[in-house]
Amino acid sequence: MVDKRAAAVRGTPRSPNGGVGRAWPEALLLLGPALLVLATFSVYPALASIHLSLFDWDGIRPVRAFVGLDNYTRLVASREFANSLRVTVVYSAGMTIAALAIGLLTAVLLNQRIRGIALYRVLFFLPVITPTVAAGVVWRHLFDPSQGVVNRSLAMVGVSGPSWLTDPAWALLAVILVGVWKRVGFNVVVYLAALQGVPRMLYEAAQLDGATPWQTLRYVTIPLLAPTTFFLSVTALIDAFQVFDLVYVMTSGGPLRSTDVFGFFLYRYGFRYHELGYASAIAFVMFALIFVATLVQYRLARGGGRAG
Amino acid sequence: MTSLARKLAILALFALLGAATAQQLSFWHYWDGANGQVLQGLIDQYQAENPGVTIEAVFVPGSELVTRLQTAIQGRQTPSLAIADLVTVPLLTGSGALVPLDDYIAASNLDLDDYFPGPMVYGIRDGRRYSLPVSASNLALFWNKDLFEQAGLDPDVPPRTWSELIAFGQTIRERTGAWGFELFTQGGEGTSWQWQVFLWSAGGEVLSADLGSPAFHSAAGERALGMWADLVHEHGVSTIAPWGLFGRGEAAMVMDGSWMTQFFPMQVRFPLGSAIFPYADDGVPASNLGGEQVFLFASDAATEAAAWDFVAWFSSTEVQVEWNRNTGFMPIRASVADDPAYRAWVASARPLLQPFVDVMPYARARPPITNYPRVSDLLAEYVLEAVHARMTPAQALGAAESEIAPLLR
Repeated sequence: MVDKRAAAVRGTPRSPNGGVGRAWPEALLLLGPALLVLATFSVYPALASIHLSLFDWDGIRPVRAFVGLDNYTRLVASREFANSLRVTVVYSAGMTIAALAIGLLTAVLLNQRIRGIALYRVLFFLPVITPTVAAGVVWRHLFDPSQGVVNRSLAMVGVSGPSWLTDPAWALLAVILVGVWKRVGFNVVVYLAALQGVPRMLYEAAQLDGATPWQTLRYVTIPLLAPTTFFLSVTALIDAFQVFDLVYVMTSGGPLRSTDVFGFFLYRYGFRYHELGYASAIAFVMFALIFVATLVQYRLARGGGRAG
Repeated sequence: MTSLARKLAILALFALLGAATAQQLSFWHYWDGANGQVLQGLIDQYQAENPGVTIEAVFVPGSELVTRLQTAIQGRQTPSLAIADLVTVPLLTGSGALVPLDDYIAASNLDLDDYFPGPMVYGIRDGRRYSLPVSASNLALFWNKDLFEQAGLDPDVPPRTWSELIAFGQTIRERTGAWGFELFTQGGEGTSWQWQVFLWSAGGEVLSADLGSPAFHSAAGERALGMWADLVHEHGVSTIAPWGLFGRGEAAMVMDGSWMTQFFPMQVRFPLGSAIFPYADDGVPASNLGGEQVFLFASDAATEAAAWDFVAWFSSTEVQVEWNRNTGFMPIRASVADDPAYRAWVASARPLLQPFVDVMPYARARPPITNYPRVSDLLAEYVLEAVHARMTPAQALGAAESEIAPLLR
C-alpha cells in the first residue's frame, strides 16, 4: 500500500499523462475545501461587487435599477473622487517612503552587537501588533492641541504646535505619521532578516577600498536589499491604498475632507449613504489603481535590477 | 415502558397545543446595558400579563443594525418587530417589508395627537404610517457654574438669546481664559444637527415643505451660519478644536444631548446647569431630535397582530412613564411629560433634564428623507468651510445648495 503510493508519487514526473491524471482526484480532495472557501468568501463577493457596481441600489429596496456604467462616469467626474485620489496618493506615497527610509536606517543601526538588542527589536515591533483602532484613539489624545503630549513637548522647546487633527493643513500629516509609526517595525524586522543575507566579505572588501559608512550603505547595502525593498514597498503601498480604520478613528475623513482616503470615501457611500452600487464602483476603481501601481512598481524594480 | 410512552405522548400533545396557541415574537433592538435590562423587565411584565406570547429581545449593535436588517430583508429572515434610529427610518420604509400601521392605530385607543409632533414626520410613505416613536432625545445648553462665577456672572442665570450667549462668552473668555462656548467643529452629523438648531431658531428651514429642494440658503440661514463663523472669528468666544473642551472645563458652555444629563455629572468636576438653548434675539426656541422608532415586519396576520399588541402596550402612557423614568429617554407623548410621577422623578432624580422636557414641543426633526446622511454630510462640510473662514456664509450656503439640490430630485 505504502509502496504503491510512493511509487505513484515517484512515477508522476516520469509519466505525466497517467501520473497527473491519477493525482487529480487527490489534489482536488486536498485543495477542495480551501478552494471552496476562497471561491465563496473572496471570488464570489468580488465578482458580485463588480456586478453590483452597474446598479443603483440602497441594499434594501426590492428592485435594483440597472444603470450601466453611470456609477463610474459619475464617480470619475466627481469632486470627491479627485480629492480622495489626491489624499490617498499623498498618504500612500508619504507613508510608504518614510516607513522604508526609517525602517532601513533603523535596521542598519540595530544590525550590530549592542547590549539589549532584542529589547529594541521588540520595542520597534510593538506598534505593528497594536490594534489600529486602539492606536488611533491614543494618538488622537496625543495630538490634542491643548492637552496632548505632542504639543506639550513642542511647547517645551518653544514651538507652538498646530491644531493637528482639526486643521485641514495638518491632519493628513498627522495620520501619515501614525501610519509610519505603525509600519516601521515590520520594515525593520524584514530588513534585519535580509541584512543577515548580505555576505560579510562585501563589507570587508568595501572597508579595504576605504569606503565611508555612507558609501557602504549606498553602494553595498541598499543595492543588495533591492528585492526586500521591492517587497516592502509593494505590500506597504497596497496596505496604504486601503487604509480605513486609522482615518475612521482619528479624523473621520475630516477636517474638510482633508483625510478622505479611498477607504473612507467607500465607507461613506456604502455604509452611511447606502449607495451600494456607487460604493462598489469605488471599490473596483480602487482595485484597478492598486493593480496598476503594483505593475508599475514591478517594472521599476526589474528595470532597477538590470541596471544594477 | 408503557407509562413512559404515555407520558411522552401527553408531553407531545401539550407541545403541539402550545405551538398552536403560543405566539413567538422576535424584537431586534440596540438598547444596551441598563436600557436593555429595563426593556427586558417590561417584556417580562408584558409576557406575565399576556400568557402565550413570548417575545425574544435580540440585541444588535447600533452600528450594525441597518446592515443586519438589509441582510434579513434580502434573505426574508426578518424579525417580527424592530427599532431603528429615526434617521434610517425613511430607508427602511422603502424596503417594502414593513407593515402599514394605520388600520391597527385606528382600531386601537392610541391617540396620535398626544404625541409630540417632531418625531411624527418619520415613518410616513405614500400617505401611510409605518413606524411610531418609542424614545426621544434632544439638544439643549449645559453651562459650567464655576466658570460663570469666576467670570463674575450669576452662576444660576444662563444666556437666553444669541446676544447674551456672545456677551456671556466674551466675559468668560476675558476674565477666565476659558472659551465661552464650545462649537462642534468635527464635521459630519454632529456639526450638521447642532447647526440646524441655530437655523431653526433664526426662523429658517433645512428643506422646503415638500422636501424637494434646499431651503437653508436664506436670510435665516446666513444669519445662523454667520453666527457660527462670528463666534470663532468676530467674537472670539469659540475655537476650532477636538470635541471635549466643556467636559474638561476649558469651555464654559456647550450644546449637548439629553443623555448627557446622566453622563456629565459622572464625568465633570464642576457644578452644572442646563437650559433651553439660546435662540436668535427675535427668534424661537429650538432643539433637534434623536431617538428610535418601532416598526413591524410583514408576516402572517396572527404574528403581526401580536406584535402590534405589544407595540400598543409599550406606547401607552403608563408604560412610557416607566420606560422614561428608568432609561432617561425623553417623553414622546405630552401625557408622559405631564404625568405627575414622571415630573416628580425629573424634579428629584434628574433636575438637569427639565429644560430638555420643556423644549420638547419646540423640538424639530431632521428632514425625513432617504439620503439624509449624504445631505447632512454636505451641509456640515459647507458649514465648516464658513467656520474655517474659507468661504463667506453666503458662498458656503450657495455651494451647499447647488450640491444638495440634485440629490433631492
